[in-house]
Amino acid sequence: MSEAATALALEDVVAGYGPVTILHEVSLVLGPGEVVVVLGANGAGKTTLFRAIAGLLAPRSGHIRLYGEAIEGRTAHAVTRAGIGHVPSGRELFPRLTVADHLDLGGRLCLPARRAELKERMFGLFPVLHERRQQRAGTLSGGEQQMVAIARALMTDPRVLLLDEPSTGLAPKIVISVFEILPLLKAQGVSVLLAEQSLTLGLSAADRAYVLDHGRIVLSGSASELANDRRVVDTYLGR
Amino acid sequence: MLLALQLLCDGVLLGGTYVLIAQSLNLIFGVMGVVNLAHGSFIVLAGLFTVWFAAHAAINPLLAIPIAFVVLFGVGALLQPVLLEPLMGLGAQQAELLSLMLTFGLDYVLIELGLQVFGSSYVSLPYLQSTWSVAGLTISKSLLVGSAFAAALALLLSFWLNHTGFGKTLLAASQSEVGAVSIGINVRLVRLVAFAIGVGLAGAAGVLLILVEPMAAETADDFTILGFVLIALGGLGDYRGVAIASVLLGIAQSAVGFAIGGDAESVLPFVLLILFMALWPQRFRRAA
Ligand SMILES: Nc1ncnc2c1ncn2[C@@H]1O[C@H](COP(=O)(O)OP(=O)(O)OP(=O)(O)O)[C@@H](O)[C@H]1O
Ligand SMILES: [Mg+2]
Repeated sequence: MSEAATALALEDVVAGYGPVTILHEVSLVLGPGEVVVVLGANGAGKTTLFRAIAGLLAPRSGHIRLYGEAIEGRTAHAVTRAGIGHVPSGRELFPRLTVADHLDLGGRLCLPARRAELKERMFGLFPVLHERRQQRAGTLSGGEQQMVAIARALMTDPRVLLLDEPSTGLAPKIVISVFEILPLLKAQGVSVLLAEQSLTLGLSAADRAYVLDHGRIVLSGSASELANDRRVVDTYLGR
Repeated sequence: MLLALQLLCDGVLLGGTYVLIAQSLNLIFGVMGVVNLAHGSFIVLAGLFTVWFAAHAAINPLLAIPIAFVVLFGVGALLQPVLLEPLMGLGAQQAELLSLMLTFGLDYVLIELGLQVFGSSYVSLPYLQSTWSVAGLTISKSLLVGSAFAAALALLLSFWLNHTGFGKTLLAASQSEVGAVSIGINVRLVRLVAFAIGVGLAGAAGVLLILVEPMAAETADDFTILGFVLIALGGLGDYRGVAIASVLLGIAQSAVGFAIGGDAESVLPFVLLILFMALWPQRFRRAA
């Protein structure tokens, strides 16, 4: 894929905590408007990868480019400003603030007109959040909380959205309704990098997939290819 | 009946003077996860400064409020990045322990500074020494003024937190640091501002407290413990709970003071602290 046609590109990213290296030379690309899933079992390093992209963890080496612009080593707020929205693992809402507060906080760097426009768009994507806008986030159901987490990140007006295991703790029916917004984001030109443990769920939502195992990308391909690839399941089972 | 009303009235006013101590400590705690053990020494330094100021400048001691706030805001803004911020990257538990030790040390340094500059004796500020009689109740003017100003400043803080953009980012950072960072909030800056405002308000509280009770450099830790008890009682990071706790403690102290005596009244916060630590240790954990 050419530089201009790449929304997000990772080249040989190495990262970890203290002396421990978790990610070993991870490379991947995400095209504009694409939904790409990073599949991996518990502890494979998905969250670590997303933290490195989002600027919460400085990579030891390698490059991270957003539309060609190197962003590795920047602070998290600089990365947000550059156009990466992050829905962290575990949602990380502000339990005592209202839904409307979350949206306003997400959009606080936008001009007021743009903020109002984005807010309208969020209420269009998630009508239930409009009903709940004066409710504290801590009192919402799991699915509603996930919607708030996604809407809060989208309010930063990102070009790339990192969605870290949005399915955690949600009933299958709710997961499906959350994943239904992915095609809508695509239509708005937002590229999505999704992390997911569940193969079927991840592959059903994405155009392409990477399989992460012990911090290394071991397989990649289109979602339909990988859905029929025995090696994917073998990786999960540790064979 | 009148006696009960009198005790209630004294208690509410006393509690009013506590609100600012507790909320300023709560602000620092909420955002940094640090109980600032030097809090009382900032209060006392401001109180001792006010006495000096009133003696030398011969103007209304309430004018010391903005001065103490601005100076201590500056002190907080200088100390936080140098002393506390480096600990913040070490993980919550490490940061909590090390910052406790650090603010404990800072407390000693500040108390020593107070002793060197202002001496060791108890001082008080003769200001508005008279009382009002309202419907049979006796109200000390200085207590009323101190309580009203402290409550007003605490309300102002609460308004700022809940109704301004920066205040909201501060609440957000205190409820989920990762969530705040994920939408581009500069949490370093938020922590710096929270600490500076917290210390600045401790200064304002010191000016108001010297109007109602004598102070010496050594009484610094009494205020720290008082604040600590109040946020444990009201809930860490819970501003409404802490405001209620302040008033309740004031009432309890005024009742105990009447029934048992002044010593029991002053020792009550310590007793409550020990009781809380023993019965509800989880109250001292950060609210999720
Ligand atoms: N803060 C940390 N300090 C040290 N090691 C960590 C830290 N966070 C995660 N790890 C380790 O890094 C490895 C990868 O964890 P990570 O959270 O990135 O996995 P994951 O793929 O997101 O897993 P899950 O599906 O459970 O969310 C694990 O072995 C984990 O123990
Ligand atoms: Mg994870």
